[in-house]
Amino acid sequence: MTAVQPSAILPQAQSWHGQAHLTYQRQGAKTIPLVETQAPLKVQQPFYPEGSQACHTVLLHTAGGMVGNDLLSINISLEADAEALITTAAAAKIYSDHPQQLPAKILGHAQVGPGACLEWFPQETIVFEGAHYHPQWRIDLAPGATWVGWDILRLGRTARGERFVRGEVRSHLGVFQNQQPLWIDPQQILGSEALWSSPQALDECPVLATLAWLGRQPEVAWVNEARACGTDLIQRGTWGVTRLQQGLLCRYRGHSTTEARRWLEAVWHQIRPHYLGRSAVSPRVWQR
Amino acid sequence: MVEMPPSAPALLSLLQLASPALPIGAYSYSEGIESLIHQGQITNANALAHWLTGELARGTIRLEAAVMMRAFRAWQQQDGATLDMWNDWLSAVRDGEELRNQSWQMGRSLLRLVGDLDPAGLAALPDTLRSERCNFAIAFGITAALWQLPQSETILVFLQSWTANLISAGVRLVPLGQTEGQRLLRQLADPLQQASQQIQGLSDDQLFACSWGLSLASMNHETQYSRLFRS
Repeated sequence: MTAVQPSAILPQAQSWHGQAHLTYQRQGAKTIPLVETQAPLKVQQPFYPEGSQACHTVLLHTAGGMVGNDLLSINISLEADAEALITTAAAAKIYSDHPQQLPAKILGHAQVGPGACLEWFPQETIVFEGAHYHPQWRIDLAPGATWVGWDILRLGRTARGERFVRGEVRSHLGVFQNQQPLWIDPQQILGSEALWSSPQALDECPVLATLAWLGRQPEVAWVNEARACGTDLIQRGTWGVTRLQQGLLCRYRGHSTTEARRWLEAVWHQIRPHYLGRSAVSPRVWQR
Repeated sequence: MVEMPPSAPALLSLLQLASPALPIGAYSYSEGIESLIHQGQITNANALAHWLTGELARGTIRLEAAVMMRAFRAWQQQDGATLDMWNDWLSAVRDGEELRNQSWQMGRSLLRLVGDLDPAGLAALPDTLRSERCNFAIAFGITAALWQLPQSETILVFLQSWTANLISAGVRLVPLGQTEGQRLLRQLADPLQQASQQIQGLSDDQLFACSWGLSLASMNHETQYSRLFRS
């Protein structure tokens, strides 16, 4: 057999296809998780820090980061009235795959059953300068279902002087109810000097963060509560709050993942009583 | 293929559709420009040109224009389900409440106008689009197809009238001189043509944009204390 060029087999040989299938069932007053994973994805023991009805799950990426051609498939299914909060154990890192420029991909699907509530709060994703990252998520909401999620991105390792003028984040999130799209967010950040510096795009800000709550039309007062949190907590970043179709949206563009995170957590604490009727309890893994 | 210039009737219809005198209320929207000027992000003609060039190069106006063409073709093929699908898609993609309301208001006004001009013309319009929620880009595509306009000129005219409207907002708000506004529009001829060509080549799975500046400006406009514009 003739030798295959190393460059041809390298991505295949090195790439991971991690999988997580998480199903949550409500049994009596308790939400029970059923978990199937494939390395490098793992799930820690479930926690119930706020009582039995809400299951807190921590996803773990044991390889420490993703490179080009890696794929993570995440399937989440909440049966009727189940409540789950999913977070990750640590920041995700997307390494540059120069010169191949293959994307690291995430394919996610969540189905949230009638009366069920899924909270998706991963820790931040650090996309190294030159890296290509393509997350794609579809969320299907049954009538009366709730999805709340955030996405915190750091573009380039700022501390090392990186600016995101090379590389690409192409992310697609669609939230549907009865096959109707409530919110679709097709974002392409194709690194270039123009995109990095333009106020229309990044305005030289390496941190982008988004929180969305879908499932019901928020009252104006709730939008104003989220704004009040921003006024209190954000010094440097640009931020805003608006209503989606059946939802609330917060966006932040700035320099600090800590600042973004502090605001989004505060918003979560504000809005949670409106969709779950109880106060937010932060997952243990956040308490550092 | 040799591109034929539009016929005289088509040219007249294009001019009418692009005209700022078209009574659809476009002049009352700034799409975040008012907020950017208020915050000191846009202070002169150059900054406005830079903003508009960025939107044309990568912003959500590209998605609007791409979907406008899809509505155009769907109307030609009498495909109501596809019209509905793209209308829902646009409503879901607009991530600021003011921008979504703007698109619905202008779409509703344009459909009403076109229906008044030619009552039989819109007989095939799906009921869902007759209700309150037809996006402007969908209504524009339907009108262009109904008036049998050439596709590539239609997309250019769609982008040009959007650009001219925001320049007009800038002229009133920065403020800029009328001549400066016109100079700006001529300066944007290349970005307009590039955008028009690129958008015609976009497949459905290439419909992505980066408009963080617009999203934030639109959200901040909602709470701006003193406002002349509705977006």
